Amino acid sequence: MRVTQVLCAAGPVDAVTNQALAWRGLFDRWGWDGADFAATLAPDMRRAAIRPLRELQPADGEIVLIHYSGFARDLERVLDGSARTVLVSHNVTPPDYFWPYEPVEGVRCTLGREQLAQLAACADTLAGVSEYNARELGEATGREVAVIPVLFDRTGLGPVRDAAFGPPTILFVGRLAPHKRQDLVIRAFGEYRRWREDAELVLVGTPLSPSFGSQLRRLAAEVAPGAVTFETSLSASRLAERYRDADVFLCLSEHEGFCIPLLEAFHFGVPVIARDAGAVREVVGNAGVLLEAKDGVATIAELLDVVVEDQELRAELRARGEWRLEAYDYESTAERLRRTLEGRGA
Amino acid sequence: MKSPEEALAAARSRAAGAGGPAGPPLPEDPTAAAKRLARWAIIEPDEAAVYSTRRFGGPITAFKRVLIRLLRQYFVQVNAQQSRFNADVAAHVMRLEERVGELERRTGADEPGPGEDRASR
Repeated sequence: MRVTQVLCAAGPVDAVTNQALAWRGLFDRWGWDGADFAATLAPDMRRAAIRPLRELQPADGEIVLIHYSGFARDLERVLDGSARTVLVSHNVTPPDYFWPYEPVEGVRCTLGREQLAQLAACADTLAGVSEYNARELGEATGREVAVIPVLFDRTGLGPVRDAAFGPPTILFVGRLAPHKRQDLVIRAFGEYRRWREDAELVLVGTPLSPSFGSQLRRLAAEVAPGAVTFETSLSASRLAERYRDADVFLCLSEHEGFCIPLLEAFHFGVPVIARDAGAVREVVGNAGVLLEAKDGVATIAELLDVVVEDQELRAELRARGEWRLEAYDYESTAERLRRTLEGRGA
Repeated sequence: MKSPEEALAAARSRAAGAGGPAGPPLPEDPTAAAKRLARWAIIEPDEAAVYSTRRFGGPITAFKRVLIRLLRQYFVQVNAQQSRFNADVAAHVMRLEERVGELERRTGADEPGPGEDRASR
C-alpha cells in the first residue's frame, strides 16, 4: 500500500507534524511506502522529512491522507486525482478568539473552517482525532466520521518522577494563544501565591505573536512578579524535565481538539486540573479534576492548594492517570488507524 | 480526600463568596483593532528578514540582499501601491466605526426608559 500524507503546515514543534511523522513510522513498519508533504514549511523544518506540497504528484491506487489543521491555499488540488482520500480533522480553533489579538490568524481560521467543510464533502473517508472533532465534522457534513485517536508513544518520554522536592510548581504546556487562556492560569496562580509565596508557574509554548506574548508577560509581572517562567522550543528531554518538576498540570483552555500535554502529564504522574471544554473531558475521563465555566479564579486557586497539599488525592489522581493512558495504548491506536486506512472501519 | 469531585467541592466551598466566574481574555481597547489596522497600513519590509535557512547560507543571504537593492526602484513602487490601498481601507474602516459609534450613541439616547414609550414623549 502507498500512503501520501498532506499537512497544512509543518514545523519541528508542531503536534500535527509530530503525529504525521509518527504515522509514517508505523507505515514503514507495515511495509507501506509513500511520502509526506506540507503546504507551508517552517524554516527550521527538515526538508528530508516533509517536502513542499507543490512537489506532490498524486498517483493512481495510492491513499492521500490529509491532516487538516488550518487553511492552506491550493489544498483542494490534492483531491483532484483519482487517489482514495482520507481527511483527518485535527480541529480548527473558532476565529472569534483571534480577532482582538491577531486578525490574520482569525482570517485563517475562518477560511480554514470553510475549507474543511469543502474538503470533507469530497473526501472518501472522514476521521477526527477525538470524538469531539468527529462529532463537529459529522454535524457539518452529515456523514459518518471515524475516530482515530492521537498516537501516543510513551517509550520516548523517559521515566516518571520519584518524589517532590522544592517549591510547588504549576505547569501548562501549549501555544500561548487566547483560547488556551494562559491569562487565567496566571491570574489563578497569582491568587494561589498569596498563601504560597514560594510557588512557581511554568508556561511552555510558542506565542501566537510577539505582542500577545508580551501582554502575557506584563500580566505575569503584575500579578506574580518573578514567579512565572515562559519557555519555548524545548527539546524533548527538557520538556520531560519540566513535567518531572511539576506538582500540578493546570489546563484552562476554552477550546481543545485533543490536548496531548494532558496525556504527557498522566505519563509523568502529574495531577491534572483542567477546564471541561472541547475534547478535554473525553481525554481526561475521571483521571483529573474538571472545572466548569462557573468556577472562577478563587476556586481554581483553592483547588491548586488542595491538589498540591493532599497526598492521598495526589496518589489517587496519579493512579487514575496511569489507568487512563490504557485508553490510548499505542498498539490499539495503531490498529484503529490501520483498519481505517484499509477501509475496514475504525 | 479520595476523589477529584471531593477536591472540587472542597475548593468551591473554600472559595465561596470570593468572586464569580473567570472574566474574558486579556481586556482589549475597543478601538485597538482600527489602530492596529492603521499602524500596519504603511508597509515597511525589513531587509534583515531576508536570509537563507540553508546551512552555510551566508552567500545566498548576501546575494538575495544585493538583488533587493538592485530592484529597489521596483519595490518602492510596489510598496507605495500596497500602502496606498492599505491606508484607504484603514481610513474607510475608521470612518465606518465612527459612524457606527455615532448611530449607537443616538439610538442609545433615543431609547425609551423603563415604563416609558416613545409616543408619550
